[in-house]
Amino acid sequence: MPNSNFKGGLKIENPYPSNEIDLIRIPLPDKVVLPMQQRIGNQAIPCVSIGEHVLTGQIIATIDDDRCAPVHASISGTVTAIGNHVYAHQSGLKGLCVTIESDGKDEWVDTSIGCTENYKACLPLTIYDKIRISGIVGMGGAGFPTHTKMRLARGCKNIIINATECEPGITCDAALMQAYPTKVIRGVEVLLHIIGAEKAIIAIEDDKQDSINELNKYCNNERIEIKVIPTKYTSGAEKILIKTLLGIQVPSGKFASDVGILCLNVATVVAMFDAVVENRPLISRAVTLAGSAIKEPKNFQVRLGATYDYLLSFVDLEEGSHKVTMAGLMMGINLKGTDYSVSKNTNCIFIDKAQESVVAQECIRCGMCNTVCPVELLPQQLYWFSKSENIEKAMDYNLLDCIECGCCSYVCPSNIPLVDYYQFSKALYKKQTQEKAQIEKARERFEFREMRLERNKSERAALMEAKKIALKEKMAKDRSQKEKIDAALERVNAAKIDNMEEDAS
Amino acid sequence: MINAISTLSVLALLFGLGLGYAAIRFKVKGNPLVDQIDAILPQTQCGQCDFPGCKPYAEAIAKGEAEINQCPPGGQDGVDALADLLGVETLPLDQEHGEIKPKRVAVVDEKVCIGCTLCIQACPVDAFVGSSKVMTQVIADECTGCDLCLPVCPVDCIDMIEIKPTIKTYVPTLKELVHA
Amino acid sequence: MQANFLNTNQIMRQVIYALVLGVGAQIYFFGLSVLIQILLGCITAVAAEAIFLRLRGQTIKPSISDGSAVLTAILLAISIPSIAPWWVIVLGVLFAIIFGKQIFGGLGNNPFNPAMLGYAFLLISYPLQMTQWPSEFISITHASETIFGLSSIDGLTGATKLDYVKTQLMMGASIKEIGSISVSQLWINIGFLVGGIYLLFRRVILWQIPISLLSGVVAMSSILFLMDSNHYASSIFHLLSGATMLAAFFIATDPVSASTTPLGRIIYGFLIGILIVIIRVYGGYPDAVAFAVLLLNITVPLIDFYTQPKVLGK
Repeated sequence: MPNSNFKGGLKIENPYPSNEIDLIRIPLPDKVVLPMQQRIGNQAIPCVSIGEHVLTGQIIATIDDDRCAPVHASISGTVTAIGNHVYAHQSGLKGLCVTIESDGKDEWVDTSIGCTENYKACLPLTIYDKIRISGIVGMGGAGFPTHTKMRLARGCKNIIINATECEPGITCDAALMQAYPTKVIRGVEVLLHIIGAEKAIIAIEDDKQDSINELNKYCNNERIEIKVIPTKYTSGAEKILIKTLLGIQVPSGKFASDVGILCLNVATVVAMFDAVVENRPLISRAVTLAGSAIKEPKNFQVRLGATYDYLLSFVDLEEGSHKVTMAGLMMGINLKGTDYSVSKNTNCIFIDKAQESVVAQECIRCGMCNTVCPVELLPQQLYWFSKSENIEKAMDYNLLDCIECGCCSYVCPSNIPLVDYYQFSKALYKKQTQEKAQIEKARERFEFREMRLERNKSERAALMEAKKIALKEKMAKDRSQKEKIDAALERVNAAKIDNMEEDAS
Repeated sequence: MINAISTLSVLALLFGLGLGYAAIRFKVKGNPLVDQIDAILPQTQCGQCDFPGCKPYAEAIAKGEAEINQCPPGGQDGVDALADLLGVETLPLDQEHGEIKPKRVAVVDEKVCIGCTLCIQACPVDAFVGSSKVMTQVIADECTGCDLCLPVCPVDCIDMIEIKPTIKTYVPTLKELVHA
Repeated sequence: MQANFLNTNQIMRQVIYALVLGVGAQIYFFGLSVLIQILLGCITAVAAEAIFLRLRGQTIKPSISDGSAVLTAILLAISIPSIAPWWVIVLGVLFAIIFGKQIFGGLGNNPFNPAMLGYAFLLISYPLQMTQWPSEFISITHASETIFGLSSIDGLTGATKLDYVKTQLMMGASIKEIGSISVSQLWINIGFLVGGIYLLFRRVILWQIPISLLSGVVAMSSILFLMDSNHYASSIFHLLSGATMLAAFFIATDPVSASTTPLGRIIYGFLIGILIVIIRVYGGYPDAVAFAVLLLNITVPLIDFYTQPKVLGK
């Protein structure tokens, strides 16, 4: 029986506790701003034009690679803009977005065609395609396209449903499970059928007692086990969860599917159920709204593309300047202002009262960060290497295995933003590798060009040589002809002279 | 006294033999220094360093005939890397050879191109697609931004476009972190 | 977000508070003169650090207020004889701050323990002043006069118990004849031990270095004691004499110059412990903490390299 507790990680109290966790349904937003660049993969290409009327669930942007999924209209209405808008990204850069103004009717596309309740009669490939066409990506934050993950996981024996929601303060998954426990269980059953796995484990932390009760009430499938694990931050990190539940270590650089395990977030499973059985693509998600500037934390079921301001109109927001964080306190990013919209992996928005930013001090090599890293890396060494931009040594110390959980920054006595340093060096490594590849390519092309010019020159020279020789031969042939003629002429002349001498005597 | 002299002499003899053997047995073929320097240079083949290409510049550095700070496309990072490799003090980039420009690629204005193929002949990495009397265009992925095609175009139809960072290619700088 | 954990300034302050008991014992046995040394040391440390930060072009206030310079000064001040002339502590602290810390880039960048570097410098340069320890309680007026060079110290000083034991052993006496631990040393070490345990409980320091250092001392001294109990002092003697407890909980635990991996810390502490006993017995100086720590500081990068823990999934 593997140890339910893992080395490292932190026990963090929920900074925004609430008595009740409810999934609140809110009215349709007036407009939605749908981003085209999803977290992974190439930018989606809009297939609608400005002024076009679209239905809810209609595909408005297609993709050309397998690392993302199509984008759908989350409300019915008119496309009013296809242009650049700031993204909820730490760079603050703008990217392509499609804006749709609602017509208030929420007219859906035809949802009668599809696998529906008879999904067991459909081929797995059909279901994968349905999942792809429904735009489903990992909703726990990573955003990896679910259809690709499931295709890579064909033949997996074990399925893990990640319902841990280990990051403190986020409760959207818990709210979803309490609101739709049957969808969760039936979604897992669909998964079991498609993948052909033997069993599925729904992993959930012990602080979500209400959700556990609801799931237990509706689960009577022997192949589905609901496993309760101790509440500790990063228990929900995929590789850590797999080690905790099954005792299997996923080798560094490989994925869970390489060891025969499929791991999906519980919200993704519900979305997948909606797509396969109810033929509805991914157009809404649960979002937690909390923070020290918000009186009561709340969970909303909101259409994708709704603006943050629209969501904030449903909570009691304190006046004053705010600090806006998206995707959690530990792994989230700081945003300026609230002019953003909800995307597929927006699991929470925290609005805190603005505090004085803490100044980082020098690293005193205390090693606290080393003790809390759940992946058992040496954050302190990675910090020193990142600081001096020594990416080679950082790679030696397994920089790419860092899951950017933020445990190390949390415990640092000098308040050093350690995760920022690792993100920096990972981006630098990616850039350096790409640059090296490009330089190699340029060198190859240059050398080939030199060779080509040389070859042209030598071919020309050879050609010239050949021509010269041919000409000489020709001239030589001509000469021998000429000599024959000369010789003949001489003979004739000599004969003539002989004749003339005979006549004279 | 005799002991000391004889001991040291024997040691010197042994070490000398060892070094001589190593010099022959582990001799490195070719001139890897030039290759190492060439590996750091950005392969733009633009000639801004006053040499006809990156390999000649690398050879000149290896021979000591050129300074390490003559390559603008490599930027200050390139100069520092060369200084590291050669174990010398780094120098500021020599601005006389050109200023550091952000990464750019060439683009042909298709309405103006006359198909003279002069740009194809000028490009050191064959990044053009085209032929005589046929419209020519740049393969953006292959273009190194060396600017050599700009002066030869008789109708001046080539523009250099800067590559702006996108959300996918964004790299935060260390300075942005240090303020924290 | 850092609510439950101490920040760097708080860590330095906790260490200073934990020294109170041991210093109190020193005052009880030998008078208030140690406070004069501490005062002189702190003033020198803050001034030196401020000047150097200005020379390096850094802001002064944040670095000074982290308390690390003051901590270095206090540790050095309680390690030297409390009636040493004023210029001894001043020079020592100057050397420690400048050559032990600032030229490497300030807090966090020094490879050597600054206090021990200062101590080693003083011991080698001024052996006379560094080996004249007070042998009895000295009044504050008499002490101040001595420190500031206004009166002599004859008749007041003697060697430490460690020094005495060493010289007696060299002269051929056996352990039984020399006698046991001196009372003052005992209580001073116990004071530091209690302070150290407080730091362990507050999680300011981790258990690896103190426990392994003391184990190293016990191990080495036990081996020698078992070989010849007449000529080698017992483990208890080594544990409770000299600066053993101070080293275990306050000096070797300096995070900047110590090893950073858990296994590395155990090796580091253990080797310091062993070296302390070896240098005490076979070396030329009576107390060995400074040299043992400095020698192990040099090996820290090597220890760190070979004790990297296994990454998940590799």
